[in-house]
Amino acid sequence: MPVKSYLAHPHEGKKSELLSALSEIECCEVIPAENKDVIVLVTDTANEIEENILKEKLEAIESIKLFSMVSGFDTQN
Amino acid sequence: MCITPTNRRIFIKKMAAAAAMTAAATMFPGIVFASEQEANLSSGSDLDWKKGPCRFCGVGCGILVGVDKGKAVAVKGDPNSSVNKGLLCVKGYHQTMCIQAKDRLTHALVKKNGRYVETPISEALDIVANKMKETIEKHGKDSVAMYTSGQSTIPEGYVASKLMKGAIGTNNLDCNARLCMASAVTGFLTTFGADEPMGCYEDIDYADYFITWGNNMAEMHPVLFSRMLEEKNRRGAKIIDFATRTTRSSSASDKSILFEPQTDLAVANAICYEIINKGWVNKSFVEKHCNFSKGLTNIGYGLEDKFKFTDKPEKIDFEAYKKFLEEYTPEKVAKYSGVSVKDIKYLAAIYGDPNKKVVSYWCMGMNQHTRGTWMNNLVYNIHLLTGKISQPGNGPFSLTGQPSACGTAREVGTFTHKLPKGVVTNEKHRRLAAKIWKVPYERIPAKPTYHATEMFRAVDRGDIKFIWTQVTNPLVSLPKTSRYRPAMEKDSCFVVVSDVFPTPTSDVADVILPASWHIEKSGLYGNSERRTQHWDKMVEGPGETTPDAWMTIEVAKRMGFGDLFPYSEENHVEEIYNEYRQFHEGAKHGMAPLDVLKKQSGAIWPYVDGKSTQWRFNAKYDPACSNGEEFHFYGKPDGKAIIWQRPFEPAPEAPDDEYPFWLNTGRVIEHWHTGSMTRRIPVLHKAMPSAYVEFHPEDAKILSIVNGENVKVTSRRGSCILPASINERGLPTQGQVFVPFFDENMMINDVTLDAFCPISKEPDYKKCAVKVEKA
Amino acid sequence: MKRLVIISLFIILFISFIVVWNRSYQTGLEEAYIPIERNDPSVSIPSEAGVFKRSEHALDYSNMPIDETHSRTLKEYYKNRAYPGAPPSIPHTVVDERGLGGNACLKCHENGGYTEKYEAYAPVTPHPEMTNCRQCHVVQNTQTLFTAARLEKLTAPKTGVNNALLGSPPMIPHQIQMRENCLACHAGPSAPKEIRVAHPERINCRQCHVPKNSETKEIGIFKR
Repeated sequence: MPVKSYLAHPHEGKKSELLSALSEIECCEVIPAENKDVIVLVTDTANEIEENILKEKLEAIESIKLFSMVSGFDTQN
Repeated sequence: MCITPTNRRIFIKKMAAAAAMTAAATMFPGIVFASEQEANLSSGSDLDWKKGPCRFCGVGCGILVGVDKGKAVAVKGDPNSSVNKGLLCVKGYHQTMCIQAKDRLTHALVKKNGRYVETPISEALDIVANKMKETIEKHGKDSVAMYTSGQSTIPEGYVASKLMKGAIGTNNLDCNARLCMASAVTGFLTTFGADEPMGCYEDIDYADYFITWGNNMAEMHPVLFSRMLEEKNRRGAKIIDFATRTTRSSSASDKSILFEPQTDLAVANAICYEIINKGWVNKSFVEKHCNFSKGLTNIGYGLEDKFKFTDKPEKIDFEAYKKFLEEYTPEKVAKYSGVSVKDIKYLAAIYGDPNKKVVSYWCMGMNQHTRGTWMNNLVYNIHLLTGKISQPGNGPFSLTGQPSACGTAREVGTFTHKLPKGVVTNEKHRRLAAKIWKVPYERIPAKPTYHATEMFRAVDRGDIKFIWTQVTNPLVSLPKTSRYRPAMEKDSCFVVVSDVFPTPTSDVADVILPASWHIEKSGLYGNSERRTQHWDKMVEGPGETTPDAWMTIEVAKRMGFGDLFPYSEENHVEEIYNEYRQFHEGAKHGMAPLDVLKKQSGAIWPYVDGKSTQWRFNAKYDPACSNGEEFHFYGKPDGKAIIWQRPFEPAPEAPDDEYPFWLNTGRVIEHWHTGSMTRRIPVLHKAMPSAYVEFHPEDAKILSIVNGENVKVTSRRGSCILPASINERGLPTQGQVFVPFFDENMMINDVTLDAFCPISKEPDYKKCAVKVEKA
Repeated sequence: MKRLVIISLFIILFISFIVVWNRSYQTGLEEAYIPIERNDPSVSIPSEAGVFKRSEHALDYSNMPIDETHSRTLKEYYKNRAYPGAPPSIPHTVVDERGLGGNACLKCHENGGYTEKYEAYAPVTPHPEMTNCRQCHVVQNTQTLFTAARLEKLTAPKTGVNNALLGSPPMIPHQIQMRENCLACHAGPSAPKEIRVAHPERINCRQCHVPKNSETKEIGIFKR
């Protein structure tokens, strides 16, 4: 059950758009920075397959400029 | 500690988030995440935000109510509202919390054999309608009365007026705005012939000086005060506090000037003397736009039942006015007002300086005054003499206390002498009302009957045998409740109370009707700056709660007036507003159409050609000006405003040997009027759990009273025991005590005097004589 | 005749001497009396005194950049106090052991500012008018105890849990006696970052934020 955290950088002026796009996805939790254009994203999926589906979903978001993974955990439960 | 799998996952997710946040902090030094300040808050991003005006004061802030699963769970300031620009006060932010109170009135209660019995609402309305009809048949039209509110919505006020004046045909309709805004109304009418302020809140953005007359805006109109503070910091605008008590507003002001109660009349005249004496009069403005008049003097105080007074205005000239002012030189006035000659001249110099823009603000200090009308006239005099009026940043501005004192009480006219347009004494106005209401013109009586105080005196005398109160709590808010509570308890009068919560007024009711609260119904309010605001129903009310307007309509139908009230339950607000708008058609008072009000955060009337009129009487902004000049005071037949000769007269009751203290009453920021709503909001109750009596530390020392000690405040009418407050929220002058009136367990209005301004009939809650002793 | 003139001259001189001496003696007596002058009638209200203090700096506060590397955390803030609300101890050496504190302390603690030596911003005192600083604030000269003790630790108020409604302004979770001046601790670079106000320019803090605890007893909710 992978848990991963990313920093998501939006395109200029599209932070709120990105924020709403991300928060619509079920297995995502978002923590936006108050004063900078960056969003912390924590994903939580049940298995590898779901993880891959999620990845595709994330890549399809238009308002996103760049993703960078910061940490990842994979646990049994 | 054992870690469960879910706990473990939450922990891992937190770790992951923390790692990302640390990484972000190295990339962007100084980054702030909401989680650090609001670690335990949910984001609220999935709420449904609904627009409306605030429930409380006359400022009329725009609010957005967050609704989740049919429940109001959050409130924020409406950033699109030009009134508050997203800011609210502590009452506003927590307002929706009161509707969940456990003692909410959810069903109609009918008194049977001394006990309240839960009754289906339709049955309760039958009882009300039958009782009203029966009383009229037995004792005549003028034996029934309705007492409504400046917190009633526009449709609620409108149907009440239509029922009483149009359907039944009695002028026995008055409202609690009589207790707060009546002097402002008569002030406007006598000076300008047209009610309500000429300016708007945007004046704050332009003024160099704000002079507040007996007005603690930091607590009572906090959002406007914050806008003033912003201008003070940003542009160096100055705030001058002219009051009888040192308050939070005084400490934020650039200068605080204290005066002896009642001497504001003299000081205002002294300012006019100084303006004339120093040659600061704007001569061309006064010649073109002003007349001079005087009225009767020694006009009494209305202490006796059935008191009558009619002023006899008489035109005078400038020389006579100047001669009259010689009695009010700063030197003479300084002797009894407690204001130094220097301070009087300082105030006059601010008003007199042609390069300084000045706004005067006032509210209850000037209105709740046995010479309230005069006092309003006198401040207008200052602005008229200097021509500082009806321009951005220049003007007198009368603030209101209630959310729709302007919109409902004054514009719809829920006073005994008023009609939606004009007054009952005017035949043209009666004919217009009869036409729109589709009733025979003869049915609307031409003579006003009872104003608020006199209405409850009539209940006491037994002249009124049926009274219906809506949206108000008179047995806490009337002056001298020590007389009117026993009066309402009498069997001679059948009392119907519509309210949201049980109050001391509902305690004496024969029928209690459960009303919908603010956001549980649709409605319209009108604020101090002539802004009409609409809101749609946001949540369902509990039980059988019903909008006040609909209860009035239901009673009217049951009395056989169904054809006059052809409104539908779902859409009555819109239907009533559209009917009401016909009264004000035209450039002088046109109201915005409902679809405009639904889209934006209110509109200021006169709303002409799709535009709000921000400054009335100024040809640049007001399309109703038609005399070709820069200004046109079109409320008066000759287009000229009146500068009134009004003398200083003493208060009806002043401290003496037996009752050596002035008693002043008022409000605190946490509570709204009689506290029936705000005390049920835990945040506000915790911040201000009970009333208190404020002393000057010197007086407390002489009486050896310590903070928190119980003190008995006694007047010739009654007494009240409260804890002493020394050096806390406010600081009265020596020889004065102050008590807030929100606390139904400490009824200071048992002590106050029911003297009123003979012109406006508004009582003076700010001055009477009391003695104090340890309880 | 001449003699008479001289004698009367002397008499006049003598009388005027007595008069002058008497008068100066009387004035001397009068001056010895110091009349009690009444204070300015508009005294400030202690519990309200701080509401608008430092508000003249509000715009500066809102324009100040945030120096994240040197900001305090709330944990550090409470570490310096025996219990929440206790006067903080002095975590550094003091200039003058014999003084009250007063101006020596206020040099840094009246308005704050960055101190190279401690690599930190000096906290701003909410009550600069009280100058006997060391009446309440003491230096910690040792980390050991005289005897071991079981100290009850009061939990400090938390952030983020003082809102009554979602997103409504938080109530004040602490006592405000001697700390009426909100901006001293809640604005500027020395404010702990968790409680640094996002809108110092609003000034009239208690328009929206009201205290939630009474000074002496729990208030509960309103009952008729």
